[in-house]
Amino acid sequence: MRSGTLNVPGIVGFGKAAQIAREELAKESVEMFRLREKLRNTLERELDEVYINGDLEKRLPGNLNMSFAYVEGESLLMGINDVAVSSGSACTSASLEPSYVLKALGVGEDLAHTSIRFGIGRFNTEEEVDYVANRVIEVVRRLRELSPLYEMAQEGIDLKSVHWATEG
Amino acid sequence: MAYSDKVIDHYNNPRNVGAFPKEDPNVGTGLVGAPECGDVMKLQIRVNEESGVIEEAKFKTFGCGSAIASSSLATEWVKGKTLTEALAIKNTDIVKELSLPPVKIHCSVLAEDAIKAAVTDWKKKHDGNGK
Repeated sequence: MRSGTLNVPGIVGFGKAAQIAREELAKESVEMFRLREKLRNTLERELDEVYINGDLEKRLPGNLNMSFAYVEGESLLMGINDVAVSSGSACTSASLEPSYVLKALGVGEDLAHTSIRFGIGRFNTEEEVDYVANRVIEVVRRLRELSPLYEMAQEGIDLKSVHWATEG
Repeated sequence: MAYSDKVIDHYNNPRNVGAFPKEDPNVGTGLVGAPECGDVMKLQIRVNEESGVIEEAKFKTFGCGSAIASSSLATEWVKGKTLTEALAIKNTDIVKELSLPPVKIHCSVLAEDAIKAAVTDWKKKHDGNGK
């Protein structure tokens, strides 16, 4: 008799994964970190007004969450639709609320809407990272040309001081 | 997210992106939405003072694909219309044209608001010049 059903494939798989991690994690973390940093540095070098969300040191080596000011996350996702990433913007959530995780991290709502989460894994290559960086840069630049907020910022307007009429 | 072909088309080929000088007396500017909401649309119309017809329109939008498509479509639709005809454009027309799902209906509402705000701004500049 048994009182329930255990997830045998899951247990065996998790055990095997733990073994692989024990053997490879330290080495692979170094490479994932290198690729993550390459992505981050490339984006920061080519684009202005990009911000890292969350602590840069106390962070998984393959994780990058960045905000691209003046460009909304879902529209950015549409432009890089051959890359699997996600956004903390309200438009990408079913609840139409921005990410509560970013909120807890102290990220302002306006920047939450412009955030993208990149997850680099043990099988990603440097070519893939370069490709993603170039696509993101291209799409951010294009969408900033469409952005009234970018236009206002270029004109020297402090967006925080603007009185936004939410109705016509 | 499943987008209609028309939304994808407007996203890849947005119509009438750009800006007119705000101070131009024949330009009406509507700026609606807020950065904290994740949606801001700026829609401008250039009106022929004599005929009262909108000759040109331009937009810029901070928002998702549906928001960009809604405002791009709005600039297409207002061109060649009188102010009264432009005010008659309903968000439901935009929803239908772009096949927007329920969760994106608010994007069409903002586009309708942007048109109305642009018309209101133009009328304010022409106060006393006869409506």
